[in-house]
Amino acid sequence: MNRTVEYLRGPFILIVLIVISRYLFPSKMTFLVEITTFSIYIIANDILYGYMGMVSFGQPFYLGVGAYTAAIYLAHIGNNPLVAIMLALFAGLLAGVILGPAYIRLRGDYFALINAASCGLGLFLVEKTFLAFTRGDDGLWYRSRMQATPFLDLRKPSEFFWFAMIVLFLVLVWYTWLNRSTLGASFRAIKVNESKMKFLGYNTFVIRWTGFTLNCILAALAGAMFAVNYGFVNPSITAPDRAAEVLVATLLGGPGSIYGPFFGTVAFIGLRDVVSTFVSRWELAMGILTIIVCFKFRGGVWGTIQIIGNQLKSLKGKSSAQNV
Amino acid sequence: MLELYISSVILGLCISGILLLVSIGLSIGFGLMRIINMEQMVYYTFGAYLTYALVAWAGSFWLGLLAGTLVAGAAGFLVETQLLRRVYGKELMFTMVVTFSVFMIGIGLIQYVFGLASKPVGQPFAASLSLFGTKVPVYRLVVIVISLVVYVLIQLFLNKTIFGKAIRAGIENPDQVQGLGINIRRIFTITFVVASGLAGFGGCLHSPLVGVRPYMGFDMLLLAFITVILGGLGSLKGTLISAAILGQVISVGGTIYSPLSSVGPFIVMFIVILLKPTGLYGIKGKAFGFEE
Repeated sequence: MNRTVEYLRGPFILIVLIVISRYLFPSKMTFLVEITTFSIYIIANDILYGYMGMVSFGQPFYLGVGAYTAAIYLAHIGNNPLVAIMLALFAGLLAGVILGPAYIRLRGDYFALINAASCGLGLFLVEKTFLAFTRGDDGLWYRSRMQATPFLDLRKPSEFFWFAMIVLFLVLVWYTWLNRSTLGASFRAIKVNESKMKFLGYNTFVIRWTGFTLNCILAALAGAMFAVNYGFVNPSITAPDRAAEVLVATLLGGPGSIYGPFFGTVAFIGLRDVVSTFVSRWELAMGILTIIVCFKFRGGVWGTIQIIGNQLKSLKGKSSAQNV
Repeated sequence: MLELYISSVILGLCISGILLLVSIGLSIGFGLMRIINMEQMVYYTFGAYLTYALVAWAGSFWLGLLAGTLVAGAAGFLVETQLLRRVYGKELMFTMVVTFSVFMIGIGLIQYVFGLASKPVGQPFAASLSLFGTKVPVYRLVVIVISLVVYVLIQLFLNKTIFGKAIRAGIENPDQVQGLGINIRRIFTITFVVASGLAGFGGCLHSPLVGVRPYMGFDMLLLAFITVILGGLGSLKGTLISAAILGQVISVGGTIYSPLSSVGPFIVMFIVILLKPTGLYGIKGKAFGFEE
């Protein structure tokens, strides 16, 4: 019982903070929804990188799997956004299960680059090959085809916001559970020393496969939410040159922590938006900031928040000790 | 029809030459310093833009070639001594994000100075030659010849000079080289300057063919990585052969079925990584990050 409260408390506080800021700054709602969707995407990458230490240059491919599954369903077959998101989750599961065994046996930069290659192939498939389904560079538009869903009408931005909050809450609760679970511990153990894990009798292949599949499912979920929220997708969503922003956001937030991905997303998208209002060339400022974060704040944004929090706590402890 | 294929084979060789110049440095640096140099293509972009600027202002392509190579080498020296020294030996992701940030800073600087629009660069030779019944621009042949000459020079440098031998020994085992009393840090710096100079040189030569854009490095980055991976890490011969293959895949493949020019390299990389992850001339067990 106590543990359940622990799992629910952190995510709940975070969601309450987002909802408060939604009412404090009503004009920033689309920004908050974007952060919510993007942070699920970063959580997916964090399972791969933060937990298992595997770098992937091809995260947009898995995002694209989800987005295009949802979009093709909504544009050609059905009109229920919830079904589209379910299908996207299933497509992510399939992608992870099928591609996993081939990709997982590669290490380090080869894993990173084969993901980049699948990203390039995915772009080619949606842009040139399956034109009948994806309409190539024009993208798919299906907002008018979407039907109202019970309880929350996902077509309306204000109600999609609440849906995004629910999804983020569930994902964060699950992520908190992962952090404490045996599965999460074995992910971390693989990052530190895989041969010792093998020696202890764990099947590291299956563990890595599970992690990879979880990454695919979460990235596909983020893609489907993106597709439903905007009402259109185009091939640029799977373009390989967008792979870097995922890595930068993960590192900014602090890899391998529960709230790191969320704060990394806030920092990345926030900085990008803020910087680009002042200077049109945001790459320059972003690059300098990333280098500063890399060298000076190794734990990322969340790590720094934690360090400051611990210092405050110890100060409090000292002062209360003096009082006694 | 035959003329079409002959001219596309020659274009392919020309692309191979550029790929070779750009990825030799990447391959040696990858093997020696064990970091993924995402920012190598900044020097390529710098070289291309300097050529553009000097062709526009001074009217001389060859001056641009010289200045581009020197400035790229100098920028490489600055980045290596000031930043990358702190990165060696750190984990893969960290080095990638740091070097990628340098890449973004470079792109930002280019945009700040030259703006976002893409610009054409005048060809130094307007003449074209008649070869097998097709007209071939002389410049393409010059690029092929220059890249082959550079390849031979680099091979001589690595095999005949003491610095080159130290670099090759460093690829095998950096600690042993350090133990012999050779300053491996200085070797790193020299390798890096040569690599970035070569990338800049490649950019200068490439600019009349494709024009200059701030994001031109992005397109080249993946191609250069594919060349290195396909050839095998630290193997110059492998880089030469993989550059030759990729050039033909891009050019002849694109002539047969046009989307192949953009997706062909990815297909090649996909197949090679799945079947032979060490590349064509890589030694098994030697490849960075691959232990099985």
